[in-house]
Amino acid sequence: MKLWHSFIKELKLSSRGFYFYIEIFMAVLLLVILLFAVPEEFVSKETEYIYFDLPDKLTQGYIEDILEDDIDGKSENVEIKSNGVKISVEYYETDKKKYYIADSKENLIQLTKTKRPLVGAVISLDKSNNNHFEYYLQGYESDRLKNIYLVFHNKDLNLIKEESDNQVVRSLSLDYHMLNDRENVIPSILTFNGSLMGLFIIAAYIFLDKQEGIIKAYAITASSVWQYLMSKVGVILVTSIISCFIIVVPIMGLQPNYPLMLLLLITSGFFVSALGLVIASYYRNLMQAFGAIYVVMIALMLPSIAYFIPSWEPLWIKVIPTYPLIQGFKETILENGDTTYTLLASLGFLVVGVVLFLFANRRFKKTLAA
Amino acid sequence: MIKKIWIIFLRDFKVNRRDFLALYILVIPIIFAFGINLLTPSINDTSINLALIEGENEKQVTYLEDFAKVEVFKNVKDIEDRVAKRDNIIGILPDGDDYYILNQGNEVKEVVDYAKILLTFYEQDVQIANSNAEIIDFGRIVPPLKKMLVNIIILMISVMGGMLIALNIVEEKVDRTIRAIHLSPVSRKTFILGKSIMGIFLPIYGTIALVLITGFRDINFFQMLVFVLVSTILSLLVGFIQGLTNDDVINAAANIKILFLPVAAVIVAIEILSDKWQVFFYWIPFYWAYKGNDAILSQTATWSQILLYSVIVLVLSGVVYAYLAPKIRKGLE
Repeated sequence: MKLWHSFIKELKLSSRGFYFYIEIFMAVLLLVILLFAVPEEFVSKETEYIYFDLPDKLTQGYIEDILEDDIDGKSENVEIKSNGVKISVEYYETDKKKYYIADSKENLIQLTKTKRPLVGAVISLDKSNNNHFEYYLQGYESDRLKNIYLVFHNKDLNLIKEESDNQVVRSLSLDYHMLNDRENVIPSILTFNGSLMGLFIIAAYIFLDKQEGIIKAYAITASSVWQYLMSKVGVILVTSIISCFIIVVPIMGLQPNYPLMLLLLITSGFFVSALGLVIASYYRNLMQAFGAIYVVMIALMLPSIAYFIPSWEPLWIKVIPTYPLIQGFKETILENGDTTYTLLASLGFLVVGVVLFLFANRRFKKTLAA
Repeated sequence: MIKKIWIIFLRDFKVNRRDFLALYILVIPIIFAFGINLLTPSINDTSINLALIEGENEKQVTYLEDFAKVEVFKNVKDIEDRVAKRDNIIGILPDGDDYYILNQGNEVKEVVDYAKILLTFYEQDVQIANSNAEIIDFGRIVPPLKKMLVNIIILMISVMGGMLIALNIVEEKVDRTIRAIHLSPVSRKTFILGKSIMGIFLPIYGTIALVLITGFRDINFFQMLVFVLVSTILSLLVGFIQGLTNDDVINAAANIKILFLPVAAVIVAIEILSDKWQVFFYWIPFYWAYKGNDAILSQTATWSQILLYSVIVLVLSGVVYAYLAPKIRKGLE
């Protein structure tokens, strides 16, 4: 009961400050950006620079192949500025690629050097009149990628394509639903907007109260320290729940599993706030705590790199708590998402959160009024 | 006046040394730099991941290792369990004389297509030794991803410098020392500037440490120096606006969140969005700072470009400062 009263009091106090409204404003802003500025599907086209050192007839054959897939079916003459010189090239654009056809090998090399496309290539004939490919790369490409370039044109590409289309693919499940690119951004936004900022804000709350002497005043009330800390955590949870729902509901509609999302928001918010409390307990003011909080925040952001590059997922990144958090949010917004995973992640956050909270409570009991 | 600013800074430095804050400022850019050095090699090498059965076809494993990251497992069940995990890994499994591709079902099409092509290459005995291609490289060793991360951290460090200035000012406000300054021979502006030196030092030192440790030693350091000074202007702008317009740390902390939005938007715009969208971000000073640093790190920056970007950042920052000047003046009272 005392906890409830402290929580309601904190909520009323924070609703008078700017913080609460800044959170809401941010959520609305993010929603507007997601709805109007983020496309449902990102289109990133690879760029290739090519020079055909071939007889006209063969060059024409290549050009016709490219034109077949070209968006408007014709080339465009464009000038590219490179090292202060304008170089004229023929430009073709297909659904997946952008091709720039240079008129000399020198121009191709200069453009590849300065514009750093995915690849620059010179196609010529060898002594036996077979096609020969010279690939110009920057040097930082991986050996595996270089190996692919080396073998790519060894056999007739049509044969490879035909054989590859005939490969049998079996899936462990056909029940997976995919998110479009806009929806796919939501889990990482929820993680940063909701949970991560809790770390910073709870520390700011504690230091503010310390400075204003509220905490000393608290010592002569009937409430205990953990109730005071918990009421602060409660305020952070309420603001993050409201701001997350502002973003998710208009974009995802009825698809997400909202009760599960709420559970994950509460447990992860509790965990992050408890972590913030532990960090705050070691410092006297926000200035001092700032460095530690900043480094922890950046470390917690790393799993989002793995989230957007699915083939890069080293083991250590999975140990960072925001990894299961992002994945857990993803499962809650997916149709037929993995409920067990989210429940387990929530349980993990709850358990670790309780341990951190108890630890912070013990430290604050000793140091709060100092 | 400069002497007074310096004295305030030295006093601040002494206080901060006791708090380990100075140590943080010195250590944080180094942590970031080593973090980037550790991260980039593995991220840069992101071909696909394949799972095969150990000892079933050694030749195939050796062949595919040239093109993909290969993990081997004891049996089909182990591969199924591995493929069912959350990251993208594709199984290649025997079925009589043939092989089939096993996926989880939620991979993007390109990943599965890549595995199909690699399996086809193997079956068609396409060998690197028979290549009709040659590779010429320009000897660049710093991947674009590393450059991007360094640039992002440079931006983050100047924001962090700004946040330090802001928190420093807010704390003085809460302690009511700014009012007390009225009674001393130091003007409030001098006091605020003195308190800001810590935050100015961070982007200067941070950028240099970061660039050197991450291996960008061949860049034009004079250009970098100009842009480091530009970064400090951004730090000051962020610090003054945040520090002088907020009355307590909680509002300053919440406002920092709003500040991260244009910073993130700028990075996304330059790295992902096409040319036609760029114009919508021209008004953000961070846009030009990021673009300038990118050109310097790529070693493609010309002096006219650097000077132009610097002037744009100065003018934009000036406009923002002028717009908020009345509020800032009020904050000083």
